[in-house]
Order: sequence, then structure tokens, then C-alpha cells
Amino acid sequence: MKLVFYSGGIDKDNYQLDKIFIELLGKKNPVVTFIPSSSYLSEQEFKYFVKHYSKFKISRFIHFPIDVPFDRILFQEVIRSDAIHLGGGNTFYFLNSLRKAKLLPQLRAFVKKGGVLTGLSAGAIMMTENIDMAAYPEFDRDENTVNISNLSALKLVDFLFFPHFKNSTRYDVVFKKYSKLHQKIIYACPDGAGIVVNGEELRFVGKCYAFADGHKFSIN
Amino acid sequence: MNQVKKSPIDEVGKRSYSTFAKINGEHPFKTQVPGGRVEYQARHKKGGKVAFFNFDLAREMGLIPKTHPNHLNPELEQEILRTFSLVIINEFDVINKVKIPEEDIYPYTFMATRYLQLQHPDKTGKTSGDGRSIWNGTVRNNGITWDISSCGTGATKLSPASNINKKFYQTGDPSISYGCGLSEVGEGLETLFFSEVLGKNGFKTERVLAIIEFEKGLGINVRANPNLMRPSHFFGHLKQGNVTSLKQVADYYIQRQIDNKVWTQTNFKNDKEKYHYLARQVAKTFAEVSAKFEDEYIFCWLDWDGDNILMDGGIIDYGSIRQFGLFHAEYRYDDVQRYSTTILEQRQKARYIVQCFVQIADFLTTGKKKSISQFRGHETLKFFDKFFIECKDRNLTQKMGFKKNQQDLLLKNHRPLVTKFRKTYTYFERAQSKRGIHKVADGINRDAIFCMRDIMREFPQIYLSRQAALSPQDFTEIIKSSYAKKQDLKLTDIRKKQINRFQTSYMALVYAIEKETVTPRTQVLLELTMRSSVINKYDRVTGDSITYIVQKVQKLRPRLGAEELYQLACEFSTYQNLNPDQKKVSSEIPPRHKNIMQGFYSIVRDCREGL
Repeated sequence: MKLVFYSGGIDKDNYQLDKIFIELLGKKNPVVTFIPSSSYLSEQEFKYFVKHYSKFKISRFIHFPIDVPFDRILFQEVIRSDAIHLGGGNTFYFLNSLRKAKLLPQLRAFVKKGGVLTGLSAGAIMMTENIDMAAYPEFDRDENTVNISNLSALKLVDFLFFPHFKNSTRYDVVFKKYSKLHQKIIYACPDGAGIVVNGEELRFVGKCYAFADGHKFSIN
Repeated sequence: MNQVKKSPIDEVGKRSYSTFAKINGEHPFKTQVPGGRVEYQARHKKGGKVAFFNFDLAREMGLIPKTHPNHLNPELEQEILRTFSLVIINEFDVINKVKIPEEDIYPYTFMATRYLQLQHPDKTGKTSGDGRSIWNGTVRNNGITWDISSCGTGATKLSPASNINKKFYQTGDPSISYGCGLSEVGEGLETLFFSEVLGKNGFKTERVLAIIEFEKGLGINVRANPNLMRPSHFFGHLKQGNVTSLKQVADYYIQRQIDNKVWTQTNFKNDKEKYHYLARQVAKTFAEVSAKFEDEYIFCWLDWDGDNILMDGGIIDYGSIRQFGLFHAEYRYDDVQRYSTTILEQRQKARYIVQCFVQIADFLTTGKKKSISQFRGHETLKFFDKFFIECKDRNLTQKMGFKKNQQDLLLKNHRPLVTKFRKTYTYFERAQSKRGIHKVADGINRDAIFCMRDIMREFPQIYLSRQAALSPQDFTEIIKSSYAKKQDLKLTDIRKKQINRFQTSYMALVYAIEKETVTPRTQVLLELTMRSSVINKYDRVTGDSITYIVQKVQKLRPRLGAEELYQLACEFSTYQNLNPDQKKVSSEIPPRHKNIMQGFYSIVRDCREGL
């Protein structure tokens, strides 16, 4: 299983994570698919995405919005690609669209077959068990515009991921409480930091934090 | 509003929004073309409320300062109502001595212009023109003079109803619809949403400045454009052989184009050169616009009277405007007495309009009106034909996603390759369903079966990924539209050949750019992928989608203020901006609007292949 969790930030903040992503691909001339969280103005995001990864000599990309109908042929190319990136945005809307398009099992199969799955912010949350983190904390959450109650996601890892983390007491209080109540580990990463999963190996890049059983730990 | 009698000109500089005071009915056309208009006194129409105001356009026109917030304060609302909430005192009112309080009467008159309209029995433009509109006046800002006109301001004697039934109608007469002189808010909203989208996508168009709402869904729709003259403004005088009025119209129009710096040539040796330059400009404009209409599937109902279009090719009167999702080449609107032209017939209609302008140029130069058939082979028409094809070729390379400099290279050095690709592209674009012609809600149609936007969007990225061509089956799977039935999609030998030809001729253009610009092929394809994903967006508006969106807005209207409506229109046109060079930034909108916008998106998606 090859996964990269990006928290956010500008291009150069993620240089280390990007380098590891390229190593994980381990292939010349790979095909990378970009799945935006919403098709709305996603062409612009795709442009930035291409511009960013072109620096790593990647030249084959697919733009694959999933909240509009798509044909079987393009979808086959997506599943055949070497990496799929799940974009940032509204996590609830994204999950709802992935579910409607019946893509959750397809993405799990893609990872199982050795494809590299990466996600930024909402896209990274999507790779975890559920998208609870999109609803936390109350002062910094996505709006559930699609009114979904089933928040279970790709379930590729057994931890939860919180992006754009700001190291402050008010976040700490909320996450300590959550980790104790739900008996879940939360990895919280500021912009530029992230997590790489390569098989059994879990690697933290940049300053990360863990919340477990009501306690906070600093990583790196 | 009880001080109408006071001359607004006296108030310039005293009012918070002083430029509004200049919009008082005065217009240079009144004096320069006396035979081209009918003048009406007007009175203030009470009970109006500003339903929409286009802050962006108002800033462009200099009506509000550049720094003005998108906020309709009470003074601005008052100013809009004072300027535009009016109804003419028409022939019926005069004959029947309808009492109107003097303080409600505006100090200046407003004109309804005369122009040719095929709906009128006399077919010479003697009785036709603005049937329910008046011209409010002009404003000048940043070197551009804008015309402002309002629809729904009362029944004039130039309406078809007035002439067919040989009577003057009271404004609002319930016994007739179109001829009653009123307009509905829904018409204004339809024009607003459609024109803002088309305007963002490079179409010239009238734009909605304001919508004033009255009881029972009635409204006054205020429109603006730098030049609201139509070919039909010329054609009436041409038909009547009235060289004096025709010359006045032509000179008036030419002067405005020069003043607005639209024309590059401003000095002419003599009248012959001047009027033939006018004809040449019309040829250029109408070749360009008819090619664009054809390629963007815009149905504008161009006809011999030159009524439904502006002189600069701008779209006016959105009542009959459609944008199809596919190339529904045989759609005809059923206008009760007759069917409209089809999208493909528009080119011939545009050509005929050009031919009329060659006839006009000759008439104005020689003083003799010759038969129009004598100008069929004129060099201006040859230029039209040639330029039309050039525009088609450019439009196609633009749709593929090539940048302007690449388009130039292809047109200059590889024209046969472009032509070859256009032929195979056209084969798919014009393929029609075996179902044949059938009735649709407002006319007849024969369904197109392929969605060219889908193949243009997906082909470069799939080719880039596979680095190989698509099989005929895969190609068909991508390009087929929801209208295509099994029998339409049969892979015949001809179809297979065309699929192969499409891909090889597409790639031939990619190779040409690869060589010309010394750019790796994958890079060229990647750029095409990015650009064509914007240009050939999955969900593009159609006429039907605009109709449903307006219905939705109408339902929401009691709770939607003028400012909110403005925000929604801006957000919607940004979402539908298919210019790949335009950096689009989504503005922060309230959660309630997000839900409304989601509703709009879903309508656009559902109607994306329709009419």
C-alpha cells in the first residue's frame, strides 16, 4: 500500500513529501490522475496541479472530475494510471460524490493493486476510516452542504488525519477529548507536513502531532 | 418621485449619481435621422422596485464610481427608478385624453426607432420598429458612448399588432400579448443570465443594466450596448428607396463607430470608399459571427430583415436565442405562422445581410437603387465566403485548445491539415439520429448523436496516457450522446474510416506544432488537455438550462434581493466562462447561495445536450 497524506500549503512547503511521492512511483514517465473534490472551477486546480508536478518531470496527467458523469473509457485510464491524487475542498461534498459514483471500492482496489494514492487536505482525510475530522473542531470545520450522515470513507489506514493543524490549546482540547472518547489516533499536521505509508512503514514528514487516549504527542 | 418636471440636466452635479441625469431621452439619432424614429412623451410609472442592477456594467458605463460597492443604497435605487421607471404616453392615451398629472410627465421625449421586421405585413419598414421599447439615451465614459434602451415601456404604433389590427393599443391591453407594450421580469432575467455568460465567452451582446419589477411579474428591462443599431435600421429605408434617410442612418452609424474607436480607418477619400468600407466591415463581422454561431451552436434566427442582431454582430432580444448542447442542425422554432431558419441556414442569411450592405453602398454612392441580385458575385461577398471558412478553421483550432500563436501557425503554414481535420470533425458533428425529424416543445428537431465537446476534452488526455490511438469502440463510447440509439452507433466501414481519420488528422496538427515550436509532443498534448478541459467543459449552458434556471430564480425571487441576484449572475457567468486564458477566482458566497448555485449546476448538467 502506497499512500501520501498532504496537509496543505504552498508548493515549496511540500517539497519533501513530493520527493518521496516520486520515489514511491519509482517509474519513468508515469501517468498521474487528478480527482478534484468538485468539478466547479477544477480546471484551474488541474492546471496548478500539472504545473507543480511537471517540475518533477511528470508529463502525463488525467483530469477526472467525479461529480459529473464520466465514461467507461476515461475511467479505465484512471484505474490504469500510476498514481491518483485526491484534491482538497469540501470533504462532505467530495465523499458524497465518490459514493454516488461508486468509486470507493474502485479506489481501494487501485491501492491494493499497487497504485500510489495521494490526498491533500479533504483528499487525505478521505483515505482514513471516516471523515469525522472534517467536522472537527467546531470552529474550523467543513460545512456539510450535502447533509450526509454516513461519514465512513476509504478505510485504508486505522488512524485519522487532521490537515492545516495549528498548534494551539483550543485544537488540543478538542482532539484530546475526541481521541479519548473514540479511542482513535489522530495525526494532526500543519501545512507542509504529512504522512507517507509504504507497506507497513509509516513515515512522518515535517512537524506532526499525534493525539491518543486523551494525550498529545509531538512527532519530529 | 414627484419632481419629474424639473429638467434633469439642471440637476447634473447636484445629484449623488449625477450621470443618471444625462439619461433623459435625448439621443443623437433623433436629430440626425428624423425619419428613423417616432417620439413619445413619457410619464413616471409608479410602484416599481429595482429587482436587479448590474454594478459591474454600471461602473464600465461610468454610472457609478469604480470604487462603488455592490450595494444598492436608497439613493441609487431612487436614481434608477427616477431614470428608468417610465411608460410612454402613446396614441391611445392622446386620443382618449387620458389624464396624467403634469408633475409625472418627463421633460423630454423618448424615441422608438423604426426598422424592418418581417412580421409586419407591409415588409418595407414603414410601420415597424420598437413595439414595446424606447431609447433612454446615451452616456459616454472612457471614450465609449453607450446606448441605453428599455423594454416594457408601453405600446408604440410600431408593433406588429397595431399594424395588423389597424388600431392603437392601450398599454397593458389584456386582449393582446406582445403588442400590449409590456414586458415580464422573466424576460429580463433570461437576457441577464444568457447575455452575461455569452459576453464572458467572447460574444458581442446587449447587456442588462437593470430590471425594474412591478406587480404581476411585469417589468421594465433596461439594456445597454455601445451601439444598439441593427441592420434592420438600414433595411427599412433601403426597401423604401429613401436615399436621404438611408444616408442619415449610415452616417450616424459610421460616426458612432469612429467615435467609439471601433473602426481603424477613419478618413475616406469619398463617399464610395466610406460606404464600401462599411459593407466590408459588415462582411467581416457577419462572417466571423455566423461562423461562431455555427461552431458554438448558437441559434439566433438570423433572417433577411436583419432584426435579431446588432450591426456589430451582437446578440439582441434573447427571446428566440438558443445555445444547443449538440449540433442539432435541423431544429426549427415554430413561430405559429412559420418555422424559423436552422442553425446551418444562418450563414446564408448573414451573407444576404452583407449583400444588402453592398447594395446600400452602391445606392448611397450612385443614387440609384439596383436589384440586389446584381451584387451576388461582388468581391465583398467573396471576401465574406473566404473569411467565413478562415473563421471556421480558427474556431476549430481554438476548440482543440491551441493557443493564439499556435492557431496562427497552423492557419498560416498548415491550412490543408486544418481543413482535413475540419472535414472529419464535421462528419461527426453533423451526424443525426435515424429517428428522423420529430416535434419538440417549441418546434421541430432531428437529434444530433455525437457530443464533440466530450471527444475534444478526452482525446488528448487519453492519447497522452495510452500513447496510442483509440479503438473505434472506445472512440464511439466517448463521443456518443444521450440521443444516440444502438442503430445510430453502428460501426460501419465508413464510420471506422472516419474515426481513424479524426485521430490521425488531429495528431497531424499536434505534430505540426511540435515541429513549428520545437516543443515535445507530450507537452503539446498536455497543454491541449488542460486548455480543452476548460473550453469543452462537460456542463455548458443551453437555452433550455437558462429557461429552467430563470424559473428557479423566479421561485426564489420574493426572497432574493437585487444585490443577491447580481452576485448569483456573476457567480454563474464565472462558472460558465470557458476561456482557458482567464484566471477564474471563485468569490466567497454565502452558504444559501452555494445551495442555489448547486441547483443551477445540476440544471446545466441535466440539459447539457439539449436545445
